[in-house]
Amino acid sequence: MPAAFQNDTDCVIDRTTHTIRFVRDLDADPAQVFDAWTRPERIACWWDATGARLAECEIDLRPGGRFTFVSSINPDHVFSGVYQEIAPPGRLTFEANGAQGRVLLDPVGAGTRMTVEIACMSAEHLGHYLQVGVEVGTSQTLTNLATYLREETVVAG
Amino acid sequence: MPDRLDMIFSAMSDPTRRAILGRLVCGEATVAELSQPFSFSQPTISRHLKVLEKAGLIEGGRDAQRRPRRLRAETIKEAADWIEPFRREWERRFDNLANHLATMTSGEE
Repeated sequence: MPAAFQNDTDCVIDRTTHTIRFVRDLDADPAQVFDAWTRPERIACWWDATGARLAECEIDLRPGGRFTFVSSINPDHVFSGVYQEIAPPGRLTFEANGAQGRVLLDPVGAGTRMTVEIACMSAEHLGHYLQVGVEVGTSQTLTNLATYLREETVVAG
Repeated sequence: MPDRLDMIFSAMSDPTRRAILGRLVCGEATVAELSQPFSFSQPTISRHLKVLEKAGLIEGGRDAQRRPRRLRAETIKEAADWIEPFRREWERRFDNLANHLATMTSGEE
């Protein structure tokens, strides 16, 4: 295992490119991780955060092809988009909810450093995501605010 | 989502207002101080402040003359609490992926 193994998920916001970036190290090679992202029977096993198998998982794996994931816990929760680049084992990009998703897989030792980016078109777009509650994480402002809150708690405590 | 959160996130959907909030993280500031880094007039900044105030994100300070604005921690906590599940959702998803890969790898051996 590399010294800086990222066994929890690092989440940062690049304000200049309106991109939310998650970084996570995985104990499998990039080809296996790419497979887990692109084969319906495999992504159905892990996509739903609750751990429940997806009720529906359709993948048309070609540029311009559509994917649709439907949660079995909450059938209203549908994640759907269109693939853009399919370049195994290092790169997969797609468009969903008006943002571009990028999955970048780099070999690190025997494992993979997985970078998942959600790129919004503008700061306003990012704000709109927050407003409508699409799962994009947090803005730098909120990160700052969270820091502020931690400091507040320390002062109050 | 309750109307209140709609107001909070609607207030935060503007880049100038997010920048104002970012500035207030560093401490309270008057309208004049807040206008400085932006190329906007004080009335424009005041309009933005009104939106933030209405959403409960900021409040006027004790000094009645200068009326410095400061963040309202409890409202910001509400917003932060709301956004945290989304970060956690991705974290859980990646935990699932790591477990799934572990199962696949051990299955091949």
